[in-house]
This record gives sequence, structure tokens and C-alpha cells, in this order.
Amino acid sequence: MNKDKIFKLAKGFRGRAKNCIRIARERVEKALQYSYRDRRTKKRDMRSLWIERINAGTRLHGVNYGNFMHGLVKENIQLNRKVLSELSMHEPYSFKALVDISRTAFPGNKVPKKEGLSNLI
Amino acid sequence: MATRRCLASLSRRHLRSLLTSPTFFNSPQTLVPQYLDLPILNSPSISSVATQGFQFFQSGSLRCFSSPPRKSSGDENSEEEEVYDDDDDDDDDEEEEEGEWEEDDDDVHTAKVSGQSGKTEAEKEKEAAEIGYKVIGPLDLSSENPFKPFEPVFAVVQIGSHQFKVSNGDSIFTERLKFCDVNDKLILNRVLMLGSKTQTIVGRPILPDATVHAVVEEHALDAKVIIFKKKRRKNYRRTKGHRQELTKLRITNIQGIDKSENIAVAA
Repeated sequence: MNKDKIFKLAKGFRGRAKNCIRIARERVEKALQYSYRDRRTKKRDMRSLWIERINAGTRLHGVNYGNFMHGLVKENIQLNRKVLSELSMHEPYSFKALVDISRTAFPGNKVPKKEGLSNLI
Repeated sequence: MATRRCLASLSRRHLRSLLTSPTFFNSPQTLVPQYLDLPILNSPSISSVATQGFQFFQSGSLRCFSSPPRKSSGDENSEEEEVYDDDDDDDDDEEEEEGEWEEDDDDVHTAKVSGQSGKTEAEKEKEAAEIGYKVIGPLDLSSENPFKPFEPVFAVVQIGSHQFKVSNGDSIFTERLKFCDVNDKLILNRVLMLGSKTQTIVGRPILPDATVHAVVEEHALDAKVIIFKKKRRKNYRRTKGHRQELTKLRITNIQGIDKSENIAVAA
């Protein structure tokens, strides 16, 4: 019956929302609405997570994310961000190869030379 | 796809340890000569820069670097015209055939009028299959065992619009692949990158000589997602269930890269 389905979906809810049908029905409907919306935002979130990870990986080698992606585009390398983030985590040497390819293709911003006391840092 | 793919990536490491003993199949003899034909493409300028860039790793690193220059294939640009560049018409041809799929009746039925219906000849089916970047090899019997122990080599392969970083013995979930049954051997020919302990080969965009062999493990449905739409205070509520069709592939072999783990001594 519908009530049983609602209670099955309401497992783990807080307080009376898992036991009482009137409250559970409301919370389950809200939960389903959230899951509909979040199936779409999940794709956005994952992509921004991948970009964060690629950024972190490339900055270890002195290149930022924007210049790195520009270099890859120039070289017609069509690896997507998901795979690039996996490489930056698990295949550091291959990722360094990609960063070098990108750097030769697009040098980007040079690091400004430090002068004086900042050389000690 | 979401739930199954997450489980697949988590259990990938465990599966490698389990797949130690050979069970069914052997790699067929026709594939062995291809292994010896390493990619010949060499762009001296880029590769020399790459070797210089990596020499400072040799001191304290666990990995070994071969002295032949790193083959980042820079000659891919000229060769891309003949290979499949366009991802646009990926799924167009495949979707039209869903209602009329009958593979065995090619000889019995006359050719249908509509070009992409299910009654097309085997050649057209193979064209559609190649748009999805897979080629169906012969059916596998239980006389050969294609499952080899784990090798530390990875490949980045593209199927449809999804890219996967795969290694030997991995299982991946892709969108439902047509024209293949369970226990079919596939060749994934859109390989974007290869890597091993000693080499990294980057394609621009793909590597024409690299192949990844896979076996179809199962055609499955994803977990059910409930599509629920509601407008409040307007008495509008709709519920629908959906199960995505998936194919589970088991990667058996990666070809196109030197898999030895030793440093080749520089002359």
C-alpha cells in the first residue's frame, strides 16, 4: 500500500517523520523533490570538485588551472575533467607529463622574481 | 548509473586482488603481433623537452624512466582526419533502432525502407557500433581465458561521451551498448591516453594504434530512481520511476604501450 511505501522511504528520518503517516508523507515528498533537484546539481558539484582537484594538482607544478586547460586545448587533448582529476590523484607522473605538455604549449604567466629578503622564504 | 558506478570504482582495487587465477579464456593469437608494434610516432622536440623535464625525478623516485624519449605523440594532428573526431552524432543513429532490433533476421527479411531501422545489414550495424567507439570481436566460448593478472598499466578510453581511466581487470558501467550480447569481446578503439610505470603516451586527441580489449559481463538495469514533481498549493503531484539501462564491461587487455618495468639503459 502507499503508506508502506512512504514509511519505507522515510527510514532514518528524524522524530515523528519516520513513524506518523501525516508527517512522514510531507517529509518524504520534500525528500523526493530534493532528490530530483539534486540529481541535476550533483553534476555541477562533481565538475567543480574535479576542477578544484585539478587546480591543486597543477599548482604543485607551478601552473594554475586556467593556463593548464588552455594549454591542453591548444594541444587538442580531449581528456575531460573527471579523468584529469583521477590522474592528478593517482598517477602523479603522468599528470606531471600533462602539465609539461600544457606548459610548452602555453607558457602562461611567469612567476615574478623575488628580490631581497623575500628570497629567504 | 550513479550508484552502480560508485560501487564499481570503490571495488576496483579489491577486484584486482581477486582476479589472480585465470579462469576461462586466453588472449587470442591474432592480438599478439599487435603488441609488438609499438607506436612509431616520434616528435623529437617535444619528447626531448619531456625527458629533460623528468630527469630530476630519477634520484629519489620509485618509478623508473626508460631512456627512449617519452613518446608524447605529437603527430596526431595530421592523422585525425581519418579517425572519428565527431562526438556529435554519437547516439543519433543508435536511438532510432531501439524498437526494431532483430539481428538474426538479416537474411530472411528484405531491406527496409528507412535507413537506420533495425533491419539494416551487418555493415551498417558495425558503423553504428563504431560511432560508439567499439568493435565487436568474435563471441567467446569457455575454452579460452582472457583474464590476465593485474598489470600496472592504465588507459583512458572514451565510450560515447564518457571517459574512463581503466586498467587490466577493471569493470566499468557504460550506457547500454547495442549489437553486443553477454560474453562478447569488444575492442575499444578510442583511446586518449596510455600510461605505465615507464612511459606516458598522450594522444591528440586519440591514439590510433592503441586498443583496449573488454568483455561484456552483463546487460543490467540501474537502481530505480523516483522522479517526483510537485507544485505546492496547486494540487499537482506526479510520480514516475526510471531505471537506466547499463552494460558492464570487464577490461581484459591494454595494447599499445610497453609494459616492462625496467629502465632501459642509455647507450
